[in-house]
Amino acid sequence: MRKVPIERLQEWSKLGHRTVLGETLVMLGADYPEMVTVTADLTPTARLTGFKEAYPDRFYDVGIAEQNMIDFTAGLAVEGIRPFAVGLAAIVPMRPAEQMRVALGYMNLNATVVGIEAGVRFGPLGNTHYAMDDIAVVRAIPNFTIVSPSDPLQVHKALYAAAEYDGPIYMRLTGGPGFPIMYPEDFDFQIGKAIEYRKGSEVAFISNGALLGEAVAAAEILQTKGISVRVIDMHTVKPLDTVMLDKVFSENKLIVTIEEHSPIGGLGGAVAEYKAGFSGTPKQVFASLGDKFQKLGDHAFLMKENGLTASGLAALAEENL
Amino acid sequence: MDKKITIESIEREAAVMRRHVIEMGYAAGGRGAHFGPALSSIEIVASLFFKVMNHNPLEPTMTERDRFIQSKGHACLSYYAALVETGYITKDQMYTFKGDGSFLSGHPSRNMRYGIEISSGSLGNGFAIAGGMAKAAKIKKEKHKVYCLVGDGECNEGIIWEAAMNGAKSKLDNLIAIVDRNGVQLAGKTKDIMDVDLEALWKAVGWEVLIVKEGNDTASILKALEKMKNSQSGKPHVIIANTTKGKGVSFMEDSISWHARPLNKEDYEQAVSELENA
Ligand SMILES: Cc1ncc(C[n+]2csc(CCOP(=O)(O)OP(=O)(O)O)c2C)c(N)n1
Repeated sequence: MRKVPIERLQEWSKLGHRTVLGETLVMLGADYPEMVTVTADLTPTARLTGFKEAYPDRFYDVGIAEQNMIDFTAGLAVEGIRPFAVGLAAIVPMRPAEQMRVALGYMNLNATVVGIEAGVRFGPLGNTHYAMDDIAVVRAIPNFTIVSPSDPLQVHKALYAAAEYDGPIYMRLTGGPGFPIMYPEDFDFQIGKAIEYRKGSEVAFISNGALLGEAVAAAEILQTKGISVRVIDMHTVKPLDTVMLDKVFSENKLIVTIEEHSPIGGLGGAVAEYKAGFSGTPKQVFASLGDKFQKLGDHAFLMKENGLTASGLAALAEENL
Repeated sequence: MDKKITIESIEREAAVMRRHVIEMGYAAGGRGAHFGPALSSIEIVASLFFKVMNHNPLEPTMTERDRFIQSKGHACLSYYAALVETGYITKDQMYTFKGDGSFLSGHPSRNMRYGIEISSGSLGNGFAIAGGMAKAAKIKKEKHKVYCLVGDGECNEGIIWEAAMNGAKSKLDNLIAIVDRNGVQLAGKTKDIMDVDLEALWKAVGWEVLIVKEGNDTASILKALEKMKNSQSGKPHVIIANTTKGKGVSFMEDSISWHARPLNKEDYEQAVSELENA
């Protein structure tokens, strides 16, 4: 792992997750000789040009063929190579879902599938380019681990963690230009171990991805009204950190799960499924993209439409207290 | 459509459509647009909408209309430009392209009121859906044709070949695909990403193949479309049209970076002046 200076983090925050991905893959290339990058005609979009130039023999573009990309990745992994397969979150994992299930999941291979521009980040491109169900698809596949990092440094650290992880990972990337820095200093990051970002006794916000910034801002709004809010950065959707959830169940009165995803099958769904096993747990409400296709609009517009802003989240919590 | 349509009149329409592409893309501001993919396909789309296809903007759902499917949905601006010029979409609506709440998304969204037959943009699927639509016409004993615009990079997708085999097996001679072979895809030249002999592949799966050397020449593309429309081969048809990505705007031509990006004021003015003096 390398130390990332604050200037770099500021640049990453300005440019968004794609730049963090592209630059981190180049570093991984240097640190892990067995690591390779695979893509499907997305080199400039996913900022892979640096990796392609640094390691031309360890970079493979299979053409616009996502199903083949996943099986090809599986073949590399079977032979002990450590592939990172990069695609659009809207297309991968949904399109090659069966390849992800049978090849990567069933055989429990060491491979990372990275989905860029998850959620509705691709706003004006329309619904074909929105990833609202990607977590749901992968979460139903046994053996898969799902990580949705919450800030630029966490994207970087999660990719490093993925390089040493056992089993297949789906890395879901959100956070475009203006990706808030939530972790300006180095911090302890472990896949599967949630981070208590802010302490609080009444409401518990459980979020992941780039929405952590809005969650914390919403907590501050509620604080001014005398409502105490705990914020959990649940970057790993699968496996869930149940130790952290048990604490929330016993200490907080209301849970708000916050995600740029459908309410079905994502973080909210995962928390609700776990919670169903206990009686007397707090009520849970879902802040999400809703079970619907979206209107057309840029990312900020869609976040507002779906109440995924600080004021929207604060209002949702207040209504349900 | 109108019988008085000539090659010259289609060329004039194509020129107006190019301007619309630039106008809509510029109106999208920082949201950007897929300029190159739209501009390479202008003569194909113009020939279809102004001459080859039977359709009526006043009755977008009429049963006997020929269907147009833009499988390479990211090139929607050439489609929208044709819908504006033929009267499905107003100029005011045109300027809402990619705007908050607009129906003109960056990839076509099915909207029969405005002549948009299917939602496309996830590459490969539009072509396979076109196969189902062509089969439906056969089942219902309808005489119309299904025209489908496909990208040459899009032909990397396995589903293209699954659907092509099925089309041949089902003898979909009412299906006419046009491959916009502009030689550039998202990340680079098509020959660098996946260098394949498209002509041989389409022949191998049982399609009637026609190569158009100058796919941005209206007379050539029109002739090929009419030929396939009237072909009695009994097979599905594909026209592989050699085109230039970004055709008509010098700095967009054959360019990887103009696949999709925002257009600034200076470049907009340059593009307009080139198109006006063409
Ligand atoms: C299934 C799928 N994968 C990836 C993309 C992203 N993408 C959009 S356009 C494009 C390149 C298309 O190239 P080509 O078919 O040659 O069309 P052109 O842009 O040259 O007209 C890619 C990879 C997509 N839209 N759909």
